[in-house]
Amino acid sequence: MADLLREIKDQIAGAKTTAAMQNVGVIREVGDGVARIEGLSDAMLNEMIDLGNGITGLALNLDETEVGVVILGDYTQLKEGGEARTTGRLLQVPVGKGLLGRVVNLLGEPIDGKGPIKSDKFYPVEKTAPGIIRRRSVNQPVQTGIMPIDAMIPIGRGQRELIIGDRGTGKTTICIDTIISQARLNKAAEVAGDKDYRMLYCIYVAIGQKQSTIARVIAVLEETGAMPYTIVVASPASDSAANQYLAPFAGAAMGEWFMDNGMDALIVYDDLSKQAVAYRQVSLLLKRPSGREAYPGDVFYLHSRLLERAARVGEKYGNGSLTALPIIETQSGDVSAYIPTNVISITDGQIFLETDLFHQGVRPAINVGISVSRVGSAAQLKAIKQVAGQLKGDLAQFRELAAFAQFGSDLDAKTQAQIDRGKRIMEIFKQGQYNPIPVEIQVVVIWAAQNGYLDQVPVERVKEFQNKLTEYFTTRKGELLAKLGKEKALSDALKAELKVVVDEFKQTWK
Amino acid sequence: MKITKKAKREAKQLYRLCLVNGLLDEDRARQVAQRILATGERNCLSILTHFLQLVKLDCARHTATIESATPLSADLQSAVRAGLEHRYGLGLTTAFAQRPELIGGMRIQVGCDVYDGSVQAGLEALKKSF
Repeated sequence: MADLLREIKDQIAGAKTTAAMQNVGVIREVGDGVARIEGLSDAMLNEMIDLGNGITGLALNLDETEVGVVILGDYTQLKEGGEARTTGRLLQVPVGKGLLGRVVNLLGEPIDGKGPIKSDKFYPVEKTAPGIIRRRSVNQPVQTGIMPIDAMIPIGRGQRELIIGDRGTGKTTICIDTIISQARLNKAAEVAGDKDYRMLYCIYVAIGQKQSTIARVIAVLEETGAMPYTIVVASPASDSAANQYLAPFAGAAMGEWFMDNGMDALIVYDDLSKQAVAYRQVSLLLKRPSGREAYPGDVFYLHSRLLERAARVGEKYGNGSLTALPIIETQSGDVSAYIPTNVISITDGQIFLETDLFHQGVRPAINVGISVSRVGSAAQLKAIKQVAGQLKGDLAQFRELAAFAQFGSDLDAKTQAQIDRGKRIMEIFKQGQYNPIPVEIQVVVIWAAQNGYLDQVPVERVKEFQNKLTEYFTTRKGELLAKLGKEKALSDALKAELKVVVDEFKQTWK
Repeated sequence: MKITKKAKREAKQLYRLCLVNGLLDEDRARQVAQRILATGERNCLSILTHFLQLVKLDCARHTATIESATPLSADLQSAVRAGLEHRYGLGLTTAFAQRPELIGGMRIQVGCDVYDGSVQAGLEALKKSF
C-alpha cells in the first residue's frame, strides 16, 4: 500500500498541467439557421464550431472580421453574445457496415429508434474525390432489374447516371427497384455461398422530402427485405436548409467507406434539385452574391464535387466502387433549366422520364430515345448485349414509322411488321413497381421477342405471354436459367436449348 | 446599417494608414475618425462603423486579459507579462482581473486566443467527457 501511495505521489509531482490554446469568438447575430461570429481568427473552412449548449455549427464564410456559420441544430437556444469555439475538426460522420439497415440523420445519428450505431470509424463529410491514377473504367454491371434500363441504358459500377423527370413520373420508384434488385442478388449470393459475387450495398439519401414519403420508402425496403443491405440518410422537409444541403455529402462519405475497403456501393440522391434550393437558401442567408435564378456562383461545383466522388477504383487501390444515381425534378419537362443542365453535364448519362408516357400506361415511363448511358455498355453482360444490341435502333425506327403511319392506312408488309414488332417490344418493357426482373429472365424474354415468338401474340396479350413464359422458365427450366446466369453469354448451344424450350412453351400457350 | 464592400475597403485603407510599425497609432486613429466625419459624405457613417470594428479588433489583439480566482503576486504578474510579451511581441497591454468562479488556476485571453487553465474549465471538460 505504501508503494502505491508513493507511486501516485511521484506521478503527481511529475505531472505537468498545460492549458491548451483555444480560439474563441462571440456570436453577434443569430437567425434562420445562420450565425455571424466575431473573432474565431483561426477558423478553417468547413470546420465544426462549438456554439455551446451542445450545438454545433459549420464555418462556411470566412470574412476578415467575422465568420458565417450554419447551425446544425436548434438555433433558438443560441443567444447574441454567446461564446463560440473552434474544434479543429471537420464535419464527420460514422461509417461502416454497422450503419446497414439503419435510418440516420445528416450526422449519422440513428433516427429509427433501434438503439445506438456501433461504429468506431469516421469519415469527413467533405472529401476530395479519387484522382485520375486511382480510377479505372467501368466494367461491371449494376443489374437494376428494370428491363429497358438493363437492355438499353445499362449502368456500370462506378457510373453516375442521372434520373430526370417531372414530379410523379416514377423517378424514386426506379431507384427503389434498383435497391430491391441489389438486395435480392446479394441475398441469393449469400444463400448460394457465391464468393465471386461482389455485393452491392445501397445508400438512399432523402433530401427535403415529406416524412410520410420517407416512411413509405423505408416500409417498402423493409417489406421487400432490402433494408439489411441499405442505409437511409434522411433529411426531411422539416430539417433546416443546412442539413438538407449537407445530407448528400454525408451519404457520399458513408458510400466512400465501402469503396475504400474494396466493396461496391450504390448511392441514390433523392433529389438534388431540393438540395440546390437548400444551398441557395443557405447562401442567401450568408449574404453570398447570387447569380442565375438566385443560385450562388458555386452551385455547379456543389454538384460536381459531390458526383465526382462516385468512382470505380483500380485493383491496386482495392477495386471498390461507388455508383451514383442522382435524381433531378424538372418543371413541365424543362430540361434546359439551370440545375438540370448542370447535372446532365456532370453525369455519365441520363434516364428521362416523361409524364405523357406515364399517362399512356408506359411504366417505367422512360423515353428511350433521349435516354443514354455513356459508359455503361462496357459493363453490360454479354448475353444481354447479344439480345438487346439492335433494340434501341429498332425502337427508334418503330417510333418514326408509327408517327408516319398515323397519316395513312395502307402500309407495306415490311413496315407493318416493324410497327407490330415495336408495339410488342414496348409492351414487354412495361413493368410493375417494386418488381425487378432477374437478368436471365430478361435475356429469355428479349430473345423470344427478337426471334419472332411474340409476333403472333395479340398486343394486348403480350404481357400475359411474358408472365407465363417467365413462370414456365422459373418453375420448370431453372437449370437452363442457372446455366445462362453462369455463362453470362449466349453460346450457340444455349441458343439451341432456348429455342427448344420456347417452342415447347409456345405449343402449350393458348 | 448595411456596410457596402466599397465602404469596407475604404475603412480598411484608412485603418492601414493608422498603423505605425505594425501597431495602431491612437492619434492617427482619432484624426482619421474626425476627418471622415468632417467630409460629410453619404457613406461616411458606414465607413466609420467598419473602421471602429477594425480598431476594436486591433485593441483586442493587443490586450491580454488575465483572470484568476485570487489576486496574483507581483512576481507572478511580471512572469505572466514577460511570457505573453515573448509570445505576442511588444505593445501588449495587460489587464489583471479577479474572478472567484474560476475556483483556481488562471484564464488568459489575447484577442481570440484563450488559455484556460482554471479549475472551472477543467470541471467543464470533465463534465463534457461523461
